[in-house]
Amino acid sequence: MKIMICPVNGPRPVSEFFCWGEIRPMPDPDTCSDDEWADYVFNRNGAPGVKKEWWCHSASNTWFIVERDTEKDVVLRTYLYGEAA
Amino acid sequence: MKRLPPVAGEWIDRTREISFVFEGKSYRGHPGDSISSALLASGASMLGRSFKYHRPRSVLSMANHDINAMVQWAERPNVRADVTPLTDGMALTAVNTFGGLRADKASILGAFSRFLPVGFYYKSFYSKKLFPLWERMFRRLTGLGKVDFTAPHLCTAKCYGFCDVLVIGSGPSGLAAALAAADQGADVVVVDENARAGGSGGYARGADEVLAATHNDLLQRAESHSLVRIMTSTCAAGYYTDHWIPLVTADVMTKMRARSVIVASGAYEQPAVFRYNDLPGIMLASAAQRLIYRYAVSPMRRAVVLAANADGYRAALDLVAHGIEVAAVVDLRSVIGDGEAETAVIHQGIRIVLNACITEAVPASDGKGVAAAVVVPVTQPNEAIGLGREQIPCDGILMSVGWAPAGNLLYQAGTRMRYEKSLEQFVPDVLPAGVFACGRVNGVHSYAARLLDGQRAGSAAAAHAGFGIAMGVAVPNETECPTHSWPIIAHPKGKNFVDFDEDLQLKDFENAVQEGFDNIELMKRFSTVGMGPSQGKHSNMNALRILARLVGKEPQQVGTTTARPFFHPVPMSLLGGRGFTPERRTPLHSRHDALGAQWMPAGVWQRPEYYQVADKSRSDCIQGEVAAVRNGVGIIDVGTLGKLEVIGPQAAEFLERVYISRYANLKLGMTRYAVMCDETGVVIDDGVVGRLAEDHFYFTTTTSGAATIYRELSRLNTLWQLDCGIVNHTGAFAAVNLAGPRSREVLAGLTDADLSASAFPYLALREASVAGIPARLMRVGFVGEWGYEIHVPANQGAALWDALMQAGGGHGMRPFGVEAQRLLRLEKGHIIISQDTDGLTNPFDVGLDWALKMDKPFFVGQRSLRVIAQQPRKQKLVGFVLEPGYAGTVPLECHLVIHQGEMAGRVTSIAFSAAVGQTIGMAFVAPELAEVGNAISIRLSDGSQVPATVTRTPFFDPDNLKQKEAV
Amino acid sequence: MPWRLLRFALSKKHPEPRMFSDHPQLKSSYDVVIIGGGGHGLAAAYYLARDHGITNVAVLEKGYIGGGNTGRNTSIIRSNYLTPEGVKFYDESVHLWQDLSEEFDLNLFYANRGHFTLAHTDSAMRTMRWRAEVNKHLGIDSEVVGPDFVKRAAPMIDLSCGGHAPIMGALYHAPGSVARHDAVAWGYGRGADMRGAEIHQQTEVLGIDVQGGKVRGVQTSRGYIATNKVLCAVAGFTPRILDMVGIQSPIYIHPLQAMVSEPLKPWLDPILVSGSLHIYVSQSARGELVMGASLDPYEVQSTRSTLDFVEGLSSHMLDMFPFLSNVKVMRQWAGMADMTPDFAPIMGKTPVEGFYLDGGWGTWGFKATPVCGKTMAHTVATDTPHPLITGFSLDRFRNFSLTGEKGAASVGH
Repeated sequence: MKIMICPVNGPRPVSEFFCWGEIRPMPDPDTCSDDEWADYVFNRNGAPGVKKEWWCHSASNTWFIVERDTEKDVVLRTYLYGEAA
Repeated sequence: MKRLPPVAGEWIDRTREISFVFEGKSYRGHPGDSISSALLASGASMLGRSFKYHRPRSVLSMANHDINAMVQWAERPNVRADVTPLTDGMALTAVNTFGGLRADKASILGAFSRFLPVGFYYKSFYSKKLFPLWERMFRRLTGLGKVDFTAPHLCTAKCYGFCDVLVIGSGPSGLAAALAAADQGADVVVVDENARAGGSGGYARGADEVLAATHNDLLQRAESHSLVRIMTSTCAAGYYTDHWIPLVTADVMTKMRARSVIVASGAYEQPAVFRYNDLPGIMLASAAQRLIYRYAVSPMRRAVVLAANADGYRAALDLVAHGIEVAAVVDLRSVIGDGEAETAVIHQGIRIVLNACITEAVPASDGKGVAAAVVVPVTQPNEAIGLGREQIPCDGILMSVGWAPAGNLLYQAGTRMRYEKSLEQFVPDVLPAGVFACGRVNGVHSYAARLLDGQRAGSAAAAHAGFGIAMGVAVPNETECPTHSWPIIAHPKGKNFVDFDEDLQLKDFENAVQEGFDNIELMKRFSTVGMGPSQGKHSNMNALRILARLVGKEPQQVGTTTARPFFHPVPMSLLGGRGFTPERRTPLHSRHDALGAQWMPAGVWQRPEYYQVADKSRSDCIQGEVAAVRNGVGIIDVGTLGKLEVIGPQAAEFLERVYISRYANLKLGMTRYAVMCDETGVVIDDGVVGRLAEDHFYFTTTTSGAATIYRELSRLNTLWQLDCGIVNHTGAFAAVNLAGPRSREVLAGLTDADLSASAFPYLALREASVAGIPARLMRVGFVGEWGYEIHVPANQGAALWDALMQAGGGHGMRPFGVEAQRLLRLEKGHIIISQDTDGLTNPFDVGLDWALKMDKPFFVGQRSLRVIAQQPRKQKLVGFVLEPGYAGTVPLECHLVIHQGEMAGRVTSIAFSAAVGQTIGMAFVAPELAEVGNAISIRLSDGSQVPATVTRTPFFDPDNLKQKEAV
Repeated sequence: MPWRLLRFALSKKHPEPRMFSDHPQLKSSYDVVIIGGGGHGLAAAYYLARDHGITNVAVLEKGYIGGGNTGRNTSIIRSNYLTPEGVKFYDESVHLWQDLSEEFDLNLFYANRGHFTLAHTDSAMRTMRWRAEVNKHLGIDSEVVGPDFVKRAAPMIDLSCGGHAPIMGALYHAPGSVARHDAVAWGYGRGADMRGAEIHQQTEVLGIDVQGGKVRGVQTSRGYIATNKVLCAVAGFTPRILDMVGIQSPIYIHPLQAMVSEPLKPWLDPILVSGSLHIYVSQSARGELVMGASLDPYEVQSTRSTLDFVEGLSSHMLDMFPFLSNVKVMRQWAGMADMTPDFAPIMGKTPVEGFYLDGGWGTWGFKATPVCGKTMAHTVATDTPHPLITGFSLDRFRNFSLTGEKGAASVGH
């Protein structure tokens, strides 16, 4: 089974994790247009590539950021939100 | 065929005999025999029938791809006779025969083979009217083994393994690799699917005693090395990401995690293609060698060896050394090598026919064996000149024309392979990190070179795993090509088989290409080559060669099909394991059981649906529970609700952002209903938020939402970085709801808290002790009665329950289940998320406008709801009643509301309410039907319609007088 | 024995011509370029030629025809969806399916087996009833049945499913069928080819030339071709193509895996689906059990397999059929499913003039092959969305007016 590296708990089987999906910056709801909002809510960067994703280590409820190549399914980097820019 | 005198290193135990039955006839064999070897030793020659034409077949490989020698062993279908160990008392039949192996009635199909070319079934049988008939016929003919419906459910535990270096294959290169890696300090596991280690070192001998001694020494060193563990009878069934390899034995699967993996899986010997190459007695040279050295079985009496490499000469020597006459070695090549084997064959005076091929085997008179080989000169490369020049009588033919790498796991790992022309073989070109290859799969064939290649790979793999540094080892090139580029002889009458699983002949490939299926993947799909149980182990390479020649390309340009797991098929019992189905129970589970609870699943939880009262129907039990709550007092376990806390200076701000209502202004010691939306404005959860302190809230979620809501709230809090923390108490608290006009009396006897309406009003939250247990009490009214939701630490839940049950006894208190609660809340018009809502429901649809505070600065879903608010409503949830005294069939949830013949909504909840005296319900209806007093029509499954009237909710106690203080 | 087979025995040469012509060169321009030589793309080419007389068409396939999700699905065909838009659309597809073998002169092994969606909870029973009632309203043969009915159709089933997921009932859809998936692509391909469309395999699209918001041409691995109309029918590759024309979409890609057992003598006639146990299973014409489960839980844009998948699916299969313990899994594989938020496809015109989209096929695309070809051909030919697909437009997300097929599609495929 694939290994995911939790920044707190270290390498664990990927079945212990939940993937939320790619980080999407939210536009300002008060100033954005309806179309911009719908784009944020529904549209996705569907093409493969290195993406920054939210993942959660379910057992410890640790949320963190994963930089992952979604075509090769290779994890390049994981870190807690707000750490390591 | 018969058993040979003892052979050094044989696997059989001659001191013991075991008996078994095959096709109704009794046989004897020895422990250590495979089913096939025991049958051959006992004189059987035909072991099975082919899939399509039901032709007689026997041993081909003795290497786990003898698909035509599969047997049914009691409830086990598709047992591979070539490798399955013989056990005492086995009762076996050949799979897929009609009337038994010897007189298989379906063998008539062979006579019709001219009518049934490749893909014939696409070309006919498709009349719309007749296809079902044809399909029934096909379904009688198709398939191999039979499923036994009485076979037991095997629940097999799985093992987990760890090692530094995993070596797949215990042949010469694998053992050398293991020793090199272990010598550098790595913990090494070697797996081999065979019953004993050693691989081809144990049988590809060429009757060479020196080689045998060298090999035995290698094996002995590996077996005695303290860092080497050898697992035999163990198949590495696949390669998965991050070096995760299922190791499969007859009765357990071990999931091995390795730091590096060495694939030393060897090569599959490939058949030559000539007419009648499938007759019993015609086999791969390595199959004959396995029969001799493993099982001491003589494969034949008089053989013709079709060779194109030194391996064939070695096999000839092995035959001769064990008393089998070799009538001739027929060599496809014009020049033979100058190796020891070739020299020895010449020296022994065995006839060698160069520049020749076998165009066909002459069947024995009964059609179930070989009588002779027809030998014909060839041009180079391999066009037979004429037909039937010379017949060499024999009762068996060995095929030794080349190898295809057993590269399945390499492909699965993502290895790029290239076709090496000097070897006529695909070899690894670019290996993924941590994956290594050595030996035949790596294009290294001679024994000495394999040892060196193993050392190289073993050292590198150990270094990758963090042990030592990779030694450079020079591996010499092969001195002669081990594989012929075209071991395929056309014959005008066909029956020259390429795929033995699927009965595909040479012309089938020609025809497929003619029809446009001229790339390897399309050819595979059209012809089904490689799709049988052996997954192309003996057929893919020849198919590729044929295609390459037909389209005028090199094998490299044609490419290979994708090798997917599994290497060999794996039983579902080993994959399924014990069947772990976790289930959650509240701390009160045993109490409910004792009270006759009828259980229902609620997500992962088990909840009492209702409590069975002797001699009462389900419906009576539920109505009894409802009546108890309405008229006296009831108690329900609500411990499955999600129970969360948020603590910190910005706790209120956090709740403001995640729920649609306002919580900053919630007074201390008070609760408020809470609805959550997702970003698209869809209602996803509800619960109650209570304020324990300025910076401390306790709140509940739905049972099914608990885990995901907590997880998502944690993410939002990570994102927002508010100064507060969330704690999940779902499993840490037990909770009950005590409800009914007499609930206060029951509770009063157990607590010092002031339960007066002024001290503990409706919607208040209090911390107090109940029956000596610290508790949080909330006066909430989901069921519309005076009531208390009482939350206590989980380990004291049972004590609380017991105390309440005892205290309630005198008040006629009854426990009630989920069904009664559903009805009670329906009477109050309270929605259940996911029953009265669906995946697209927004708060406007279900009349939650009152809870929606659109003027808050922000909450999840708000911006989307602003868009949605501008749109016309598509549906509205309304209450309805059936006519008083309605005695017909009562509609069910999800029956449709029909208006002027069109769908206009659906029932989401419905039940007969004794308190109202009518059947009541809620339904989504088109907005134009939503006005109170409107007549609507609900259609039953049988098409009849039931009239109903849209009604204001709550149905019962519309002014909510019962749950609040009397004014 | 059918007469057709006599030809094979009586002729010396194999009496079958090429199914698809070989085109060594791309032309410099086409009236329509279809990206994707799977079932959908080939069907669109077929109907463009047959129904609209448009034959100057190139189908570009970067691999081989039918090699994507057309050849990777578990070949189940049904129309018992949840929304009226979905039901009408898939119903038309089923009608087209039933005549395809005769129309193509090619046996697609369209085998009517009956389709059961098993319900193990009362909430699943509610959903089944909802679907049944909507289906019946729209004239689809679909009914909620009890456990006894399931047992009669599949007598060997363990109705208790190992004791932890008892079957309470099922949605029974009598027209549910399976077909030989590869042959569908071949049939449409041959039909399109015969009518003049060109199929170009091993031809990858590298870029799409858009000028002034209009499609002008396509850059391929074999050169540039001019065209004013491009139809994108590439399932799991949809986002990559959309990026070439700068269209945003909600499509996300998750793998969907499947596996087959070794061949067994046929014992399972109907198609069975269980949402709770995450199973769908049927037995193929080859005797193999063809089994699938739910989507992989996170985005991977490749067709890799996982062990967890076979483990989980085997475990659940044994809950339902405990006697399969000794039956072996032979092969597993995966496809890339182009998922949408509401589990309904995205079809029709797009903000780029001349660029037509047939995507968002997630796990439900195979059964829609004929109707997609037909409706997309209409849409491309007339530059007007076919009435059956107006509910599936890309606009619906911008308008917050989703189609809500999740309840039907998430349970089975």
